[in-house]
Amino acid sequence: MPLKTVKKDTAEALTLEWVLQVKDYKLVLDKKRCVGCQICSLACPKEAIKLEKQPKILGEKAKRANIDIDLAKCNFCGICDLSCPYGAVRFTLNGEHVLSVVEKESFPELIRDIQVDLGRCPTDCLDCEDACPLSLITVKRLTTDVKPVESLGFMTENERKALQTNVDVQKEYCPCCRICEFKCPEDVITVRKFIEGKIAIDQEKCPEGCTDCLDICPITGALYFSDEDKKVHVNELFCVYCGACKVVCPVDEALELKRTKIVHSPVRSGAWNKALEKLTSPVEMAKELKAKSSQRARKSVYKRIDLKEA
Amino acid sequence: MAQEAEKKAANEELRIGVFVCHCGTNIESVIDVDELARYSWTLPGVVYVEDMDYPCSRQGQDRMIFAIRRHKLNRVVLAGCSPRLYEPTFQRCVSKADLNPWLFEMANIREFSSFCHQNKPKEATEKAKETIKMAVAKASLLERLQSIELPVKKAVLVIGGGIAGISASLDLADMGYKVYVVEKSESIGGHMAMLDKTFPTLDCSICIEGPKMVDVGRHPNIEIISYADILKVDGYIGDFKVKIRRNPRYVIAKNCTGCGECRDACPIEYPNPTDMKMGLRKAISVPFDQAVPLIYTINMDYCIECFKCVDACGAREAINFDQKPEEVEINVGAIIASIGYDMYTPEETNAYGYGKFDNVFTSLELERLLLAAGPTGGKVIRASDGQKPHSVVFIQCVGSRDVNKYEYCSGFCCMYTLKHAVMLKEKYRDEVQIYVFYTDMRSNFKGYEEFFNRALKGGVNFVRVKLENRLVTEDPATKNLTVYGETEDGQQVKVAADMVVLANAAIPSETAGELAKMLAISLGKDGFFAECQPKIRPTDTDMPGIFLAGACQGLKDIPYSVSQGSAAAAQAATVLSKPAWTVEPIVARVDEDLCSGCRICESVCGYNAINVEQISEKQLAKVTEGLCRGCGICSSACPMDAIQMPHYTDGQVVAQIRAVLERGEKQ
Repeated sequence: MPLKTVKKDTAEALTLEWVLQVKDYKLVLDKKRCVGCQICSLACPKEAIKLEKQPKILGEKAKRANIDIDLAKCNFCGICDLSCPYGAVRFTLNGEHVLSVVEKESFPELIRDIQVDLGRCPTDCLDCEDACPLSLITVKRLTTDVKPVESLGFMTENERKALQTNVDVQKEYCPCCRICEFKCPEDVITVRKFIEGKIAIDQEKCPEGCTDCLDICPITGALYFSDEDKKVHVNELFCVYCGACKVVCPVDEALELKRTKIVHSPVRSGAWNKALEKLTSPVEMAKELKAKSSQRARKSVYKRIDLKEA
Repeated sequence: MAQEAEKKAANEELRIGVFVCHCGTNIESVIDVDELARYSWTLPGVVYVEDMDYPCSRQGQDRMIFAIRRHKLNRVVLAGCSPRLYEPTFQRCVSKADLNPWLFEMANIREFSSFCHQNKPKEATEKAKETIKMAVAKASLLERLQSIELPVKKAVLVIGGGIAGISASLDLADMGYKVYVVEKSESIGGHMAMLDKTFPTLDCSICIEGPKMVDVGRHPNIEIISYADILKVDGYIGDFKVKIRRNPRYVIAKNCTGCGECRDACPIEYPNPTDMKMGLRKAISVPFDQAVPLIYTINMDYCIECFKCVDACGAREAINFDQKPEEVEINVGAIIASIGYDMYTPEETNAYGYGKFDNVFTSLELERLLLAAGPTGGKVIRASDGQKPHSVVFIQCVGSRDVNKYEYCSGFCCMYTLKHAVMLKEKYRDEVQIYVFYTDMRSNFKGYEEFFNRALKGGVNFVRVKLENRLVTEDPATKNLTVYGETEDGQQVKVAADMVVLANAAIPSETAGELAKMLAISLGKDGFFAECQPKIRPTDTDMPGIFLAGACQGLKDIPYSVSQGSAAAAQAATVLSKPAWTVEPIVARVDEDLCSGCRICESVCGYNAINVEQISEKQLAKVTEGLCRGCGICSSACPMDAIQMPHYTDGQVVAQIRAVLERGEKQ
């Protein structure tokens, strides 16, 4: 059978495939999860991913940009999968989510550091589940014999205390916005952002009454509309620096976004350096390289003086 | 010396001898030869006439030499057949009588008279007379000419390192000539390196080709320039200048040890064309393990530049991401083109479902499945479910012998299908049923018919069907196929198949057209390189010094390609073994006093043989003797009458025309 290269575009997903006699490479972009940020297109080493801005229709809300992947350029490396903050792209080889670039340490994984101290979790609180803008959190209560509890209404105080709480976070889709952390009344959840950066709106350039960025921002609360000056403002606390807002902003330079750091598993790779340079800046990339080399130097010193790494 | 001879010639009395040939009955049966002889005596300058049965025979030539000496003839006219056939023979003959060969002229009274006017003997005789009259008129103005000697470079270029090119290269290198093998892909070996077994002996293909490839790689006289393209070919027989571009492998050849550690570190895979894109290779890899030269290559279309290979290579430092294309120029005396062929891909829309139905394969794909080092490790399995097929149908002549596609027979398909059928049958015995939908089984050559019988005895079912009305359908649920055909008497045959294998046509290499242009050789109507003469000069092109080997001249199987490679090597050696190559002195001559440097000649010359150059304060046309083919187009285009073609000067041509138009002489 000759090599089959397939590209299928439906309302739900964009699917790219290489079907070989012996292997099946597949890349699926889940359009429901994709927010039209530019991260994958910046990270793609083959420049196969393009953003297509959607035309604005008067009187309607702005739409997220569409992602298109060029089948002729794509080499099915899976870097888009690894870099998507929302986990919207899934790469599979023969149906399995195995990435050779990770195995060979050619590209890092984003570190989604989400800690939940379940012991302190109140038994009747669903605040985090309600707060998650992407509905990725499910709170479950289990009885001592591991049965899920449907309703707390008929339970006594003691029964309630004996319940186990399980907070299930779908990590692979989580952009780590920290809303759950802030909404948690008992400080049970700690979340570390994996992209650090800076975002600012130049209020002079921002057109009055325009809410395009706010319309498409997937993180409720990262942007808000002020009735005072009829303009959009930023709440940096929750922003995940994905850049979807910048893609739709109608005015150049009204929205300034800078990514300064990406938290990832350790890696030494030219492909990552290139992606990092495009996602942040050459300066930030150089900083990481410098940090890495000092880490290596530290390691070798520790090894020499026989100290265990702290 | 030459000038003295010319002076002598100018003063000498004209003594023309006319020899009239009977050509057995070819001429004599139509034309009155005695009448021609009588007539010839009356022509001016003629001092001797003789008619003979066969002047081309040994006795005939001896009599001519005798007559030239005895009657002190200084011009010779032969009235007989076409100069295309016999002019060189008679030129040698008059040379033996110490006469300059260019003082010989032929009058064609066979093709021009006896052959074409068989029913009008009288008129044919009249026409023959006039033909002789013209030849005599020209002969009286013929000049002594000296042949041109071109020095020969003792090196040869072989374009394409398939089995034909390998065969030619090894032969020439063993004769002591420097051989450059230019190969487009990463490794030499060609199609043969992709095959599992060879018919009719079922030898392992790479086991017999591999050692030859290694010999080429190690031969002190051979230099392989692989992963390279020919950019430009200049020059002529004995002195070709060839510009070649070595494409970047991003691996430094001399540092690469071929260890493969970089390949193991590489995270990226892409469909391997050597595996017919059924299997994969790494972004840094070799196309197959036996590759020669064994140098790894990075495919930048797929590489993500993670530099893991650089780490793996370590101190060997063989990887260089900044490598640029490199141009090389070589100088050779002869060129052998052996660029092989491509395989036709049956389009998705055609009746056999290739590309549409998962379990329809081409023959070369099946070959890779049979190969132990192939993508499936030698397991013949269906693409749809990975199961072993229990019924395989082979369909012959897909694209070949189709007037709408490729009219020719691809030649080797019958045999490779027999090979596949025998291999499948011997591998899986009664577990597999094999049907061959054929139209004519072509198994000529040594051992081939016996191989057909082996297939027949082995239980392969042969179904003879018409070329038309063959069809493959698929059950979308099971992905099983049904093959339909129509027998000669109009009966429909229908066979259920788990797998269908198409014997698709072999076609001219996609680079053939471009290369033909660069080499100034022609393509045949089928798109393969045209040989000079199909019967007696099958390895020559119409460009002197350029020879053909292998399937690029017309499709051939392995033994035939190997033999033609050796044949082309021998032909090339006839050039390389000489210190200088002699060419006819019929090359354009420019009168520098008349030439105005207008460049019209330059624009009409089809061989780039005449160019206007600055010569001592004047723009003058200059002829490259090695390139000039003596066609005369520049001479007729020149508005200043500055260009003359020796042996076809204006004076000679006008004399011929005068002779034929003269009135009163007619009887």
